[in-house]
This record gives sequence, C-alpha cells and structure tokens, in this order.
Amino acid sequence: MTREQWVKVEAVLQAALDRPAGERVSFLSEACGGDELLFKETNSLIEAYERASDFIEQPAITRDARVLLADDGGDKLGSRIGPYEILSRLGVGGMGEVYLAEDARLDRRVALKLLPAYFASDDARLRRFQREARAASALNHPNILTIHEVGESEGVYFIATEFIDGATIRELLRNHDLSLDEILDIAEQVASALAAAHAAGIVHRDIKPENIMRRGDGLVKILDFGIAKLMEPDQLEPSDDTQPSRATHTESGLVMGTVNYMSPEQARALPVDERTDIWSFGVVLYEMLGRRLPFKGETRMDTLVAILEREPAPLTNVANNYPQLAQIVETCLRKSAADRFASASDLLVELKQSKQQSAVLPSIAIHDKVEAQALPASRRFAWASLSVALILVLGTAAVMLYRRPARQSALDQPNAIAPVEKLYSQMDEAEQLAFIRDQEQHISSMMGDRPAKLNSEALQAIKKYVDQYASQRGVNGEETLAEVYARAPQYVPLIARSFGARRVPVIIGIYLPVIESAYRPCFENSIGAKGLFQFLPQTARRYGVSPEEMCDAEKMTPAAAHYMADHMAELGDDAESMTLVLLSYNTGATWVRTTLRELRDAGDYQRNFWTLFAHREELGSNFRQEGAAYVPNFFAAAIIGENPQNFGLPLPALSTLTDATPSPGPDQSGRRLATRQKVLFIFLNSQDDLTGDFRHDNS
Amino acid sequence: MLESRAMTTPADDLAANDLTGLLVDWARGDKAALEQLTPLVYDEIRRIAHRYVQREREGQTLETTALVNEAYLRLAGSQRVEWQNRAHFFAVTAQVMRHILIDHARRRQYVKHGGEVQRVSFDAATRDAAVMSQPRAAELLALDEALNELAKIDPRKSRVVELRYFGGLSIEETAEVLEISAMTVRRDWRAAKAWLYKKVTSDE
Repeated sequence: MTREQWVKVEAVLQAALDRPAGERVSFLSEACGGDELLFKETNSLIEAYERASDFIEQPAITRDARVLLADDGGDKLGSRIGPYEILSRLGVGGMGEVYLAEDARLDRRVALKLLPAYFASDDARLRRFQREARAASALNHPNILTIHEVGESEGVYFIATEFIDGATIRELLRNHDLSLDEILDIAEQVASALAAAHAAGIVHRDIKPENIMRRGDGLVKILDFGIAKLMEPDQLEPSDDTQPSRATHTESGLVMGTVNYMSPEQARALPVDERTDIWSFGVVLYEMLGRRLPFKGETRMDTLVAILEREPAPLTNVANNYPQLAQIVETCLRKSAADRFASASDLLVELKQSKQQSAVLPSIAIHDKVEAQALPASRRFAWASLSVALILVLGTAAVMLYRRPARQSALDQPNAIAPVEKLYSQMDEAEQLAFIRDQEQHISSMMGDRPAKLNSEALQAIKKYVDQYASQRGVNGEETLAEVYARAPQYVPLIARSFGARRVPVIIGIYLPVIESAYRPCFENSIGAKGLFQFLPQTARRYGVSPEEMCDAEKMTPAAAHYMADHMAELGDDAESMTLVLLSYNTGATWVRTTLRELRDAGDYQRNFWTLFAHREELGSNFRQEGAAYVPNFFAAAIIGENPQNFGLPLPALSTLTDATPSPGPDQSGRRLATRQKVLFIFLNSQDDLTGDFRHDNS
Repeated sequence: MLESRAMTTPADDLAANDLTGLLVDWARGDKAALEQLTPLVYDEIRRIAHRYVQREREGQTLETTALVNEAYLRLAGSQRVEWQNRAHFFAVTAQVMRHILIDHARRRQYVKHGGEVQRVSFDAATRDAAVMSQPRAAELLALDEALNELAKIDPRKSRVVELRYFGGLSIEETAEVLEISAMTVRRDWRAAKAWLYKKVTSDE
C-alpha cells in the first residue's frame, strides 16, 4: 500500500470505527461507493480490529520483563572481576546486583556489589562514592558490615564486603515471630552501630529492615553505610535556610524506593543529620514491635503525608506493659529532629535501661491488633509542609495533566509581544488578545484540550469574558482569595487522598474550591473546603452527605471525588478533556455526551470543550447558561492573572505592582484578582513552569 | 502562528548535564547520541524489569510509566527536570526496549532454526528459551516487521505503537512526546492496531 492509498483507506476506516460495530459494514458499502478495492481493504481492517481484542493492549514489559532480566548477570557467573570469582547471585539492591564471590588471594568469601553502569559514567559521583565508601570502610564496629575493598576492574565498579550468612530483618519479620528479647537485642546492636558511625560523622540515611541483617549466631550487621547518600540526586545548594528549593521538593516527591522509613526532613528534602537515622530506627523498632508500619497510606504520597502530618497509632500493649520502651519509640518518631534523641548513644542508654526493665517483667504478647487509622496530628500546618503536599499532589497529577503549551514564536509575532512587566490592564487590545490566546493555549493543554483552530471569534468571546470578569470581580465584595489560600493546607492533603484514590485528577479537586461561592458560611467558619462541589442537597445526600454536613470537608471531599469519578465514567472516552469533565460537573455528563455525539454525527468535531464552545449558538440553553458561566469562571479566571511572574510569594511585591498601575477598579480589586490568580496558578502549575510558560520573552 | 517553539538549548545547559545534552542531540537526529544513551537507558530498563517482576510476585501491579519516570529522575540527577527532555527520554526508552526484545526474539529464532546456533553460546540459548516462548518470539518478530512496514506509510502511527507498546506510555504521554492531541493518539492507535493485526495474522 502506498502512503496515498493509506490516507484514503484510513479516512474511511476511522469514520467506520466511529460507528457502533453493527453499523460499520453498511457504512462501508455506502462510503466506498462501489470502489471494490477500497471496500475490501477497509472491511478487512475493520474485521481485524474487531478480532484484535487485547492485541498489543498490554505493554510488552508485562509479558517480557523476564527477558530483560535474563541478560542480567547470568553470564557473570563463573566470571572474574578483579581478584574475585563470582559464585552465585545473592540479589539485587538499590545499588546494583550483589553476588557471592570468592577472593582468590585470601581464600575468603565476599559479597560483591557491582555498580550500575550509569554510575561509572559520572566522574563526580564516582569520586564522591569512593570517598564515602572509604570513609565508611574505616568504620570498625562489630555491627557494621565491613567493607573490604572499593575498586574497579575493566570498567566495572564494585564494592567487596564481608559476606553475611544470615537473614535481613525484613525476612525475619516475614517468617518469624520476633520475641521482645530478640527485638531489644537487635535494637541495641543497631543503636550501637549507629552511635559509632555518627561519632565518626557518617549518617546512614537509609535504615530499613532490608539493610539490617542478623547472622545465625545473633550478631546484627547494618549494611550499606554511607552509600544511600550516593544514590540520591545531588543536593542543590539551599538558597534560603528556611525555604527549601522547590526543585528538591519535586525530586523528593518522586523519590525512588520505599518511603516508609523516610524521616520528615527527608520527605521535605531538607538537609539531614544523624537524627534522620534515629527516626528511621524508630520506624523499624515500631514495625518490629507492632508488626505494622507507623506511617502508611495507600499510595506513596499518602505515606509521605502521614509522615509529615500524622501521629502513629499507639502500640497499646507495649505502652501498657513497657512504658519506657513505648516512650523510646515515641521519642524517635518526633516530627522535629530537635525533639528526638540528640544522639544514638542517648538512645542506646535508654534501650539498655529498657531492656533491664523488661527482663524483670513477665513476658507477654507485645503485638497489638491492628488499630484504627492513625490520628491526625496538630491541625496547624506549616507553610513548608503545604508546599510539599502541593508539590506531591502536582507531581502525581503532572504526568496526567501537565502538557507543555505551544509557545508563541517571538520572531513571528513582533507586534504581539507583551513586555514581561506589562500588566493585562496596560496592554492594548492586540496585546491582550495575544496574551489571552497564549494563556488559553496553556490552560487548554493543561486541561487536556488542544484546540486545533481557535478562531478570532472565540478569542474575542473569551476576551469579553475576561474583561467582564476583570471589571466585576473587584466590586462584588467576595471573600478574598488570600483567605481561601490560607486554608488550603487543610484540604489539599484531603483532596489528594480522596481524588487520587478514585483516579480523578487532583487538579479538579483543587480547582473546585477556588471557583465556588455558594458555600460562604462554611468558609467563614474556617472549616475550609466548603465548596468542594456544589451539587444540590439531594445529590449530596445520594453520596452520603447530609445537609448539615455540607461544610464538613472530611465528608464532602471524598463524596465530591466519588461524584466526579462517576461523571468521568459516564463521559467515557470524552473524559480525556478535563474541561469537559468540569463542564459535565456543572451541566451533567449525559448532556455533554449526547451533545458531543450529535456534533460528531454532524461532521467536524473534537472531543473537547472548544467543540461545544464553537457551536454554542446552536446548542440548547443548557450550554448557553452553563458554558457561559463556565468560561468566565474558569478560563477567564485563569487567563486574567495580571503578571504571572509575580505570583510567587511574597505578597508585598504584588501589591506594589498593583498600586503603581492605573488599574480599572479600586486598588483592592487588583489585589484580589491577583490573589485569586495566584491561588489558581500555584495550584495549577508547579514551580518554575509558572514563570517559564507565561514569559513573553523577546530573546 | 501558534507553533511550538523549537528546542534551543544553550550550550551551557549541555555542559550542565550529560543526559540533557544527549537527549537534545538525539532529538536533533544525532545517532551517536543514541549510542551513548543506550547503555544508560538499558541499565535503567533492567532495573525497571527487576522491580516489575518483583512486584508482580508480590501481587502488585506496577505502572511502567512510573518506573520510567523514576529512571529518568535517577539519570537526570539533580538537574531540573525538563518536560521536553523527559518526553525524549520516554521515546529513547521505548526504542531501547524494542531493540532489546527484538534482539532477544531473534536469538530465540536462531535456536529454533539451528542454523546459527554457533553464534550463541549454548548456555545463553537455553537461558533465552527459558524466558521467551517460541510463539512469543515469533509474534514479536512479526510485530516488529509489521511496524517497520507501517512506518513506511504512516511513520507517526508506528511511533505511537512503539511508545505505547514498547515504552509502556499512556495515551497522554504518547501525545506529549509526539506533540499531538490525545485524541489523535487514540485514533492512530486504533487504526494502527487494526492494520498491524491484519498484517501479523495474514502473514502467518
């Protein structure tokens, strides 16, 4: 088949596939209009399509992961790396594969860890690694795994350590019931190792059951000292001690491996010291005692939120019988490093005392039944943790939602360039239009809509709404968004959990509280999250929320998420456009779906908001009302943001900017607008993209 | 008027991060860059596969994309993650993944036909046989061939399939990488699926 033939075939094929299976063949005979070849070709493709069912639907890796592993060292067995002959494979760690090997020179067995190839390609990292590993190898303590050698042979970097014939704590937890005595014994040895390492200035950073081994004779060894740090991304220079850089946050939001043992400071990507090990030790101790994790959510993000925000459920049996031990766990797990044990030696002293105490008490069951949800910690939520939560939220949503907008070429549009410092109100009409078009592109693409051809009429319409919006907002006396913003910390984690769990884009959850205005009393009660959705009392009741509970964020948020999920399900394929989902939330999914189907049958269509918008005159009053409300409420709200580069905190810079500008409304309005935009954009955008994507640069 | 801006990364960015540089070069069609990228990516893919198999054993499902994302972050280190680069990374990953699997399937075929066994050690051959079934190898090779055919008449659809099937990308991410709408991806996907299925079943 030639390209030209295929173009023709595909057009008919696509049109046929748009139709229900039963109607396709009759459509083909009609569409091919006697072209036998075309009919035969398209018909066979339709048949193939209908038979193909799950052909190539599952990514290859789901079937072939093993193939990728097969290359993985099988051929290393029996081979020699430096003086080491590889005997068998022990496993795969975060740092690469580990083999049992024999050191021919000394006739001793070692564990040989081979570093991933990419590691070796980074000179700086490699040097750092060698430095750290050597420092760690200088640690001479019975409870720290001895590093024999760090070296390189024919381009393969390796670490040779003593070989431990034993089980990790993870394996012990899985296969045995550890008695209190055993637990205390392990804890004491680990604390002792930590004390020695910390005294030498080495922080482990990755204490977890997988990194602690117990030999047959009961000797405990901590593995991989000084290595975890090397696997982390390079630390960025903190620009400000109190405000960790956002880039680091993003990375911590997507951190690899388990997050269960991570300290709050690690979760926030703050600098860590030896007290991070004390936290992680506390988590391990808690897990050994309670046989469950102190901080655990459905997703990694939930877990991180729990680490930052929640207190673990008490270990009741331990607390009742061994209060001192319970106290030790509690002290290790204090959110603020300053409140934990100052050093591992302090911890060790306490543990020894506790061990003596337990020795005189009768042995009793220490494991509690699994208890109810962890308790919420203080309602107060520091700014920094908000930004963590937000960025985690956005990080999660980003893959699904964030698309980089098409940018305007500065060279092509010399007249439409808005100087960076210019406010919307200072632009002339052409600039405003250009600005709107740019913003609309950005927002649309972020929301899943990619208008193929947004005409000047549509732009004018949006501009009208924007102008209207801009002139009205200030005088309506609405609550300032600064207040909404201030309450955001209360509901963002809630939104993340509820919406995330139901696979509804978190962005919608975050957006909803910003647009609504009907639930003002709830806001005034400082309960927050009042208008997570605006559905009518009957609908709310259907989702299990009584009218009295309309201000209860804990109730409303999951119900809203559920409601949105139902809308998305109803929209089916069309749900790929988030603006349609939001519109369906206002207008009803069935209506949106039916309308799209009608437009589809009429010819030119796309499954996005702009299809509806373009046809607004032909559509029923349904759209004219809701769509009209929708545009100013969302697009205009997002578009109008005066100078988005200044949306970053702090506020004073913004107000200065507004005052210096002859703004159309009272001073307050500009500020209010800007604040509203700030909320929206901070919610909608992550970090640098904010400035990056809105910049009209002349370069 | 609203064209996407071509990637113009200043030279200092290249110096700042090898991966960024390599990805940019690769996106510009520099074949040598792909050669340098491949081992890096390959290493990460194996790690992904490990975790995949491990989670599978634990009864968990795992989003390939999440792992590829992590792989990218690991490789990119502390550099600010440029979405554009990440998209390129996805694309490279898909290519490398395809390459590995097809390579493997070919080796598997050699074993079957016997003719070129000498090129593969016996151990390697048995190992290959253990991880990929004969029909699967045949299926992959047929798909690969069909994809190459498809690329001749409709390169974009061939890429859509490569990204989704070998790279494990979602519709959204495929759209991002190819800079087309998700809807176009869906339409490309279904047409490509029909075309490929017809091809691989009729050629057998």
